[in-house]
Amino acid sequence: MQRLAQLFSRRRRYDDLAVSIREHIAERAEELMEGGMPRAEAEQAARREFGNVGVIEQRSREEWQWLKAESIVADVRFALRQLIKSPGFTATAVVTLALGIAVNSTMFSLVSAFLLPHLPGRDPQNMVVASSVSPDQAFQPDTNPVSPPNYFAWGNDKDVFSEMSAADEYRTGSLSEPGKQPEAVSYAAVTANYFSVFGATPELGRAFVAGEDHTGQDHVVILSHGLWERRYSSDASIVGRMVRLNREDYIVAGVMPAGFRLLGFTPQLWMPLTMSPADLAPDARKNRFLYLFARLAPGVTLKQARAQLQILSQRAQGDFPSTEKRWGASVRMLPDFLIHNFGIGTALAVIMTVVGFVLLIACANVAGLLLTRAVSRQKELAIRMSLGASRVRVVRQLLTEGVVIALVGGGVGLFLTYIGVRLVRAGLNFNPAISAVPVGLDTNVLLFATVVSVVSAILSSVAPALKASRAAINTDLKSETRGGTSGRAHNRLRVVLVGGEIALGLFLLIGSCLLIRGVYLIDHRQLGFKHDHLLTAGLVLDQARYVDSTKQSQFVRSLLVQLQQIPGVEQAAVASDLPSSGPGSVPIHIRAQQETKSNEQSTAADAVVTENYFRTAGVPILRGRAFTKHDDLGAPRVVVVNQEFVHKYFQDRDAVGKQIQLDITDTPPVWSEIVGVVGNVRNYSEDPNMLPQVYEAYLQRPVASFSLLLRSNVEPNSLSSAVRQVVAQLDAELPMLRVMSMDDVINDQRNGNPLFERLLATFAILALILAAIGIYGLIAYSVGQRTREIGIRLALGAKGSDISRMILIEGLKVAVVGSSVGFVMALPLPKVFNSIFQSQVLFGAPAIYPIVLAVMLCVGFCATLGPARRATRVDPTAALRND
Amino acid sequence: MVYINSMPNDPDRRDLFSGALDLMILHSLRVKPMHGYALAKHIKQASDDLLQIEEGSLYPALQRLLREGLLESEAGISAKGRPTRIYRLTKSGRLRLGWEISSFEKMFTGITRVLAVAKA
Repeated sequence: MQRLAQLFSRRRRYDDLAVSIREHIAERAEELMEGGMPRAEAEQAARREFGNVGVIEQRSREEWQWLKAESIVADVRFALRQLIKSPGFTATAVVTLALGIAVNSTMFSLVSAFLLPHLPGRDPQNMVVASSVSPDQAFQPDTNPVSPPNYFAWGNDKDVFSEMSAADEYRTGSLSEPGKQPEAVSYAAVTANYFSVFGATPELGRAFVAGEDHTGQDHVVILSHGLWERRYSSDASIVGRMVRLNREDYIVAGVMPAGFRLLGFTPQLWMPLTMSPADLAPDARKNRFLYLFARLAPGVTLKQARAQLQILSQRAQGDFPSTEKRWGASVRMLPDFLIHNFGIGTALAVIMTVVGFVLLIACANVAGLLLTRAVSRQKELAIRMSLGASRVRVVRQLLTEGVVIALVGGGVGLFLTYIGVRLVRAGLNFNPAISAVPVGLDTNVLLFATVVSVVSAILSSVAPALKASRAAINTDLKSETRGGTSGRAHNRLRVVLVGGEIALGLFLLIGSCLLIRGVYLIDHRQLGFKHDHLLTAGLVLDQARYVDSTKQSQFVRSLLVQLQQIPGVEQAAVASDLPSSGPGSVPIHIRAQQETKSNEQSTAADAVVTENYFRTAGVPILRGRAFTKHDDLGAPRVVVVNQEFVHKYFQDRDAVGKQIQLDITDTPPVWSEIVGVVGNVRNYSEDPNMLPQVYEAYLQRPVASFSLLLRSNVEPNSLSSAVRQVVAQLDAELPMLRVMSMDDVINDQRNGNPLFERLLATFAILALILAAIGIYGLIAYSVGQRTREIGIRLALGAKGSDISRMILIEGLKVAVVGSSVGFVMALPLPKVFNSIFQSQVLFGAPAIYPIVLAVMLCVGFCATLGPARRATRVDPTAALRND
Repeated sequence: MVYINSMPNDPDRRDLFSGALDLMILHSLRVKPMHGYALAKHIKQASDDLLQIEEGSLYPALQRLLREGLLESEAGISAKGRPTRIYRLTKSGRLRLGWEISSFEKMFTGITRVLAVAKA
């Protein structure tokens, strides 16, 4: 309160102070005059004795000032005035910082969305996910789903888990209410306790109740907010009504709120998961499809849970060697699991490092600018200090300027971030999981932008402020810059800054080029089939209408006949998996061949295809034959294998005529004859290796879920409506999953790689531009400082070309030294990339180094050209006449 | 800053000790409320010109003592008949002065004893 009172009475205090001091000096002067001194002289002497009235008044006032707030406000006002006075400098510094801050904040919005996700329910940070650990060398082997028997075994261990729920996350089905367009939906089947384990409640209706996961009571669904909004127009009376899922009626029990979202898992509705006794049989252990969400028992640590699951999985390995051999178990905290499973962490880490470097370069640039400015303001600073400003005061003033620039830059940067986030959001559409994650300017991003602005303010203004104030102390007011080359000493810090910028810029450029090249190579390998002019679509035949395999075969046969008749369609085929779309792998046995290593089960990727498949996809037949329409249930079982299969299991000897057996769930084992060998097709478009593959004939083993492949002689997407019509004619209630060209399918698989490349390239170029601005600024400033020296040289007979050579060499020296440092820094990059992206030799490309180095030196040279030419135009008489 | 007047132009002249100025301001004002110039003159004269107050530190010190509530100021008339501010000791200023004097005396005794030992 007293402080506040002082705040209001302050004006009076200051007036009193001024009155006292005035009287002090007047009285002293009068005293001197009484001693016989003339008035003018006495007044002057009194003033001199008193000292600097302004400073003393200021210091006296500061006794009253609250946290020095007033002088800070004054500093800010002064800084703004100074900045407005030199708009060119201000704009350059603000824009440079804004760009640096914007790229960092934009990329951080991704970090915030994907690595700091908002999870639903009560205390989600303390939930865990239990998963199987695959013995195969696969992508993320420790996030595999779990089989039903293991779910029961683990979930019943109440010493470890207080509650556990299971979810079959990746189901697809059809919604087909009368009067509405049939629609394919992805949904999850979950245990009745699923929502209560999360501690999440629906926004409408209720969650599942115990017993609803028993057959007969399981025809209830809970809708996601998105589906409810889109398909049912946010109709609150939907609860208790029927929806038609997979041609059966389900009662809507509730609607979950929009916030119930688990990063990569994006089911549009939930139904109860029912389990039959067959799901508990030993044979069910190989069906790993459940994600287990659980809470640990009180007092149990993650480590203890892991140890206990190890024991359980080892016991299972001993009891069920055929299915559990070498399979392990793992537990992770829920956020950790989701982030790990999403697999975006590495790319984000790389991007954040890159933008961090860009920000450093931007700060170095602004520091350089501030330094230049401070040096050119040396006279002003020297005057202020001789008038009594303390060094701290001057440093504070200069720092305030830096902070004001950084904050204005931060504000502009935030606006750019808003645009950047929208651009990136638009680019993040390559799969539904990515699209489902909300990216935006949340509090995390705002906080981050603020911190980044403050850090940049400190980074870019501390050194110049200290340096300038020190220089100002040492500067003699009278003899400034008379000595021609005196600017050089001041320049050292700038040379170091710009050299550092160039080193970082080169490092970034080399790194980005290596990454872009590596990712491009991965994306543009030969896949083994012709992916252009192919239209694809997914279909799932439901159990309700297509009860058995005969019905399924019939549907496929008539579908293919109809599709062939669409104008523009050359070939049509059906396959259980699209080429390069990760067909599942099955254990195989080869007749009359001893299984060599008992430890290693022979496996092969397995796809079921119709007779026309190889021709449609453009997979070459190397030996033997493809399937024909005679390879049906009545004929002997036949298979086609790929070249890699022959290489791995027959050591490249002729395999046609050999017999193999596939271990497929729910089908009796049967020996099949290899009738043909086809070319290798990559299992995934990004898979570095070729895998052995087996193709079965669709007519011999029909499957309910498959894809259509149409080879067209027109733009494939133009056929999609005709294809929809054909399917609707055959079955009006059957929805089609993603109708899209094969090229789009492959693009989707690249998951953001093109975006990743574009971002990297943008940031690297930004770094290059900033480094160029840095070197330009340095040399231009140096030329300005050396005008007198250049004038002397020209007057003494130096030619213009000598001068420009001198300036160019000065610039190149900095560029060469900086580049060398950056070059050496970049040498270990391929190794680093190979280890973080776990790939072989893809990132090593020695040719990139000299090319990028040459580009950098070239840019450095060009940035120096302008100032060098300006130097030759110095007029010696004008330069020598005066400052 | 209060310094010893014998070396007025010595740039390295030192402050007597911290708090010396406060002590003398408080003590002088206890004798008689004064305005700034009179106060500076009083200290100079009372010390037989041995001590000199630097005006630069007198006014900030007065403001600090005002803020701490040890002094109060009122409108007054200077010896020459012009308006100025008269500074007067408050009750807490009196208390502080007693405390400052006793701690100064302790310090002074301590220093004297140390010097006596050195002489012996």
